Amino acid sequence: MSKTILAVDDSGSLRQMLSFSLKAAGYGVIEAVDGQDALSKAKQQQVDLVLTDQNMPGMDGLSLIKALRGMKNYQKVPILMLTTESGDDMKARGRAAGANGWLVKPFDPARLTEVVKKLIG
Amino acid sequence: MRSEDTSPSKALSMRVMRLLSLASEHGDQHLAEVERDLVQMDVLLDEAIKKLCTSFMEIHRVAELQQEILNSVLADCPTASGQAARFVALRGELDQHIGTAVTGLQFQDMTSQLIGRMALHLAGMRDVFGALDVNGSVPPESGTEALLAALGSVSDRVAQRFSELEGVVRSTVNQRHMESGDIELF
Repeated sequence: MSKTILAVDDSGSLRQMLSFSLKAAGYGVIEAVDGQDALSKAKQQQVDLVLTDQNMPGMDGLSLIKALRGMKNYQKVPILMLTTESGDDMKARGRAAGANGWLVKPFDPARLTEVVKKLIG
Repeated sequence: MRSEDTSPSKALSMRVMRLLSLASEHGDQHLAEVERDLVQMDVLLDEAIKKLCTSFMEIHRVAELQQEILNSVLADCPTASGQAARFVALRGELDQHIGTAVTGLQFQDMTSQLIGRMALHLAGMRDVFGALDVNGSVPPESGTEALLAALGSVSDRVAQRFSELEGVVRSTVNQRHMESGDIELF
């Protein structure tokens, strides 16, 4: 059974590209448009990895990570930030919130799937 | 005897108010046009990028189907093993090009954030131009003191708007090239 990834980004084209890249590598993908939508979908279906943007209207990526880490079934699930932000202070905040990694946009599909494979197989 | 309406201080007040009013009106009009063009550009880029993404995905899907057909044809033709290796290499090349295109196509995510930031700055500038209009707040018969008081109030409003804007509009895109970004696992 294929592993499922929750891809969270307010940009439709970015979600489209993430979905395409991850599906081509054999993963199932659920898309969410912001943190609130992601939280709601994560509650409906357990996913194996979360890949989230930081700057989104409503709930941002860091708030989403904190909310997910507060849920028993998401304490150990890998969460990766995929964002345009590359500052050390933001990375430190991501790490403190519970992120497992930080990917700076734009992403390369091969490198992205390599990281995902390393984390969930 | 000089009339009250034509005294130098009142004439100066009226000219300054007229100047500020014109700057306010024209500044706002021009910025509104820039804002409109930016929004339109964002919409066009968004639509274009979605079409390009869909096309690249279709190219990928068709290439996969072609590969499957070729694999079955080559399986029935053992003498073509050299060609099979060549097809596999070409498929790898195609995947690499599609990967590079996917990286490049992400420019719209960044330009959209930059356009959003520009729109916030424009909205702030329009507020500033709005604050410049002192028409009505200084009666035409007022002299220099009333004008100075009005200008002081305008300066305060402009300064306040700029400081409000500084706190809200943070830069989130610092990329200078479309190379894929760093990856760091914690």
